Amino acid sequence: MIAATKIKNLLAKKILILDGATGTELQKRGLPAGVCPELWCLDNPQVIKDVHAAYRKAGAQIVYTCTFGANRYKLKQYGVQEEVYSVNLQLARLAREACGRETLIAGDIGPTGLFIEPFGPLAFEEAVDAFKEQARGLIDGGCDLIVIETMIDIQEARAALLAVRELSDIFTMVSMTYEKDGHTLGGTPPQSALITLQSLGANTVGCNCSAGPEQMIDFIKMMKPYATVPLLAKPNAGMPKLKDGVTVFEMDAKTFASFGSDLSKAGANLLGGCCGTTPEHIRALSRAVSRKKPTSPVRKSISALSSARGFLEINENSPLYIVGERINPTGKKSLQQELTEGKLNIIRQMAQEQEAQGAALLDVNIGQPGIDEIQTIKNVVGLLSSASRLPLAIDSSRIETIEAALRLYPGRMLINSISGEKEKVSKLLPLAAKYGAMFILLPLTGGELPKTAKKRQTIIDNIFRKAQKFGFTKDDFVVDGLTMAVASDAHAGRETLATINWCKNTFKCKTILGLSNVSFGMPGRPWLNAAFLAMAQYCGLTMAIANPASVEFTNVQKAGDALTAREKASLQFINHFSQQTAPQTPGPVEKSSPEEKVVKAILDGEKENIVVLLEEALRTGRQAAELVDEVMIPSIVRVGDLYEKKIYFLPQLMAAAETMKKGLAHLDPLLKKTAQADKGKVLLATVRGDIHDIGKNIVALLLKNYGYCVIDLGKDVSDQVIVSAARKEKPDVIGLSALMTTTMVNMKEVITLARENGINTDFLIGGAVVTEDFARSIGANFARDGVEAVKVVEKIIKRH
Amino acid sequence: MESTVFFEKIPMGPPRDKIYHRLGYKKLTTEISALQQKETDALIHEASSLIALQGMSLRLKISQNDGETISVSGNLMFRSKKLSAFLRNCREVILMGATSGSAIMEAIRDKTGRNDLTAAVVYDATASEMTDGALEWIMQYMNQALRREGKTLLPRRFSAGYADFALENQKIIYEKLQMDKFGVQINPSYILIPEKSVTAITGIY
Repeated sequence: MIAATKIKNLLAKKILILDGATGTELQKRGLPAGVCPELWCLDNPQVIKDVHAAYRKAGAQIVYTCTFGANRYKLKQYGVQEEVYSVNLQLARLAREACGRETLIAGDIGPTGLFIEPFGPLAFEEAVDAFKEQARGLIDGGCDLIVIETMIDIQEARAALLAVRELSDIFTMVSMTYEKDGHTLGGTPPQSALITLQSLGANTVGCNCSAGPEQMIDFIKMMKPYATVPLLAKPNAGMPKLKDGVTVFEMDAKTFASFGSDLSKAGANLLGGCCGTTPEHIRALSRAVSRKKPTSPVRKSISALSSARGFLEINENSPLYIVGERINPTGKKSLQQELTEGKLNIIRQMAQEQEAQGAALLDVNIGQPGIDEIQTIKNVVGLLSSASRLPLAIDSSRIETIEAALRLYPGRMLINSISGEKEKVSKLLPLAAKYGAMFILLPLTGGELPKTAKKRQTIIDNIFRKAQKFGFTKDDFVVDGLTMAVASDAHAGRETLATINWCKNTFKCKTILGLSNVSFGMPGRPWLNAAFLAMAQYCGLTMAIANPASVEFTNVQKAGDALTAREKASLQFINHFSQQTAPQTPGPVEKSSPEEKVVKAILDGEKENIVVLLEEALRTGRQAAELVDEVMIPSIVRVGDLYEKKIYFLPQLMAAAETMKKGLAHLDPLLKKTAQADKGKVLLATVRGDIHDIGKNIVALLLKNYGYCVIDLGKDVSDQVIVSAARKEKPDVIGLSALMTTTMVNMKEVITLARENGINTDFLIGGAVVTEDFARSIGANFARDGVEAVKVVEKIIKRH
Repeated sequence: MESTVFFEKIPMGPPRDKIYHRLGYKKLTTEISALQQKETDALIHEASSLIALQGMSLRLKISQNDGETISVSGNLMFRSKKLSAFLRNCREVILMGATSGSAIMEAIRDKTGRNDLTAAVVYDATASEMTDGALEWIMQYMNQALRREGKTLLPRRFSAGYADFALENQKIIYEKLQMDKFGVQINPSYILIPEKSVTAITGIY
């Protein structure tokens, strides 16, 4: 298109100036609150034309149409959802009339206000359809380009961009809105959005709204190293402030423009203004950057993947990237069962574990007979888009499965894989190009496995030539070196390594291997795999599909990375092995007594050691009762003290209490023979209507630890049940808990009923909303927390 | 203007510092070992994987605020002097709700049943803070949309059961927000189930 060429030529020479805020300018000119701006502009065409003209005169080379909310969902609020095409068409024409042919008109597409599948209720295809409806009006209205702006959801930005791309090859800019923490509200960082959107075909990517120019410099700096397209910045006039009940943007035009130089230095190629900016801001900005030379994108292509919440740049000299292989039902009965039942719990768990174990991306294979593979891959992609930051590699032999994943995945994914087979090349390469995916190039063709490196090189070269026709570069794929079993061919390992070596040093591309095939059918498989991994690393292997939980694998990987001097690998090697538990070597003679060890176990909450330590103490001749009274109780009292002083926090208190409980349970059979009677009996309940019981459970655990007999009636217990239990059990204290104001009042009713039944037992109450005053008013004792509850019970019983 | 916006998945990680604070951690005072910290962090991570944050919001006009009672479009009326004062400069309100889902509550019950209260209290604190964080997220989301109108939300929010804004109002907000669409129920004591569910109200300037 002529306009697209014109824009690209302009961007090579200068920084392009975009317009400023429209909404606030319309308000100044009479737009009332609560009306639809788009419809109001159609009723008052001269006003919007004046705003456009003011920005053109101020120096804007690209003016946005006033169609930010002209999609079917926003217009529905005003009952005109049927007029999307017409509203967009007319407003695009008004912009043209106002600005003439010299100024470029950008058809403005804003968010629908809804979240898109897999993050929200709006079906992805429905969103694409809605954006197409709007884009058609804008294109037919004569727009030179489209701008998709103020997006907070990467999936909505993708839906809009795909919609435009499926209609036309019109120049398209996409700009996201980032919060102070450098992420969209959906959790997407700028680099991730950039990688996703530029690979999907956006001609320019950037940011607008939410931040002032100073902070936007940081966002541009974050994106620039990864950008293959020009970047745009359209900041607000500073941050909004409340003044006399009105939101104001205080940054004046001069100050705003003063950031133009730094924004362009950071790498912005298009600059404009968002909320709070005026034609004055744009005029000042235009002047400030008129002589600035634009910084072109630093690269033409990038080996990088992205998810909705993270990204991965694949560099040759980085430590080996692990592609987590576990999400694959082959040989995993529980996963097969879950997939058949449509459940995804194991997949979620596998994803999170592999991420924690150091995987850089997740291979996802859901191939299994008897399931709807398309729906399943959509569900899995939806789940993993939220549950993991790692980008995905979709591993399937079915083209439709890969296509379904490509369309829905809110990031740039890796296709596993595209071979030289005719169908794969003819169908998958166009799909990879359309969705901007990277792919694993599998050197297979004609239904045969090429045995030699030489044959593989020829196939790799052939597939690459075909991929080039779709615009792919060597940054866009990784070559699978093809691991074959040495059990069936003694040269298999050598040929694979030769392929890796050729890719790295001659063909100059990145590589991947599924390592474990090499040892298939052989004994000592871990050793073969480990040796093969180390050799492949030496040959320059970039990625390996493996289980990151394998200790042998990760140990060799770290060592191989260090020996091949990969970036920061030595440090990672040291850290990796420093964190591993040192082998048990005979140390100095242990000086602690058995009793001291028991004390330490309780203080440190070593639940797993307490039984052994108590046995050790009993063997020295100490009686169980002595251990409880002289060692364990004082220890738990000390824990309570540390908690009260805030030296311990709640998990430490609980760990100590559980250790104590386990120890007491172990000693219990011995105590029955020797111990004194119980210290007292406490009846506990969360009152009627209340279901919050964690506080009561803590109190119960602590009281048991101190030797009290606790009868726990549970939660939401009726007044009558509490009173009946009190009559039967004759406790020394009745403890009641409640969390809410509405249930707190039931405590009084329980006490009243108890007194009416002649029960004069002391009550102890507690809970989030309960205060000491309230307790006093209903004739009860009060405790702030579990530790205090123990002290209050002690006092009450002593008093008796 | 009066249609509820539903957020099926609120993308938020666990706010670690707030969770630690809720658990009683005090900077420069509380002493925990590297192992205890690692274990606590692992429990927070486990809990967050069980939490499915969902929420909803509804924008309504204030028709009257006489200092004691606030009347809101849709025939809603809230009686509370404190809330009236809180909303005194606002012409509109946002009602909002959020839930962490039932899986985390089942996990808390399960851990309690297995006598693992250490895990239960960390799960509980994580769910509480994440649910609260979901309301924060909804406010940020609403502010994005309001900025275009030259408006903003009050920086804080008000919940039923706080000060003189009776907990009974939770039922009104619950029904108006259609929280049952996300499986949230309310019992006769006006407690939301699953327990880690919250509602709030704030004003638009």
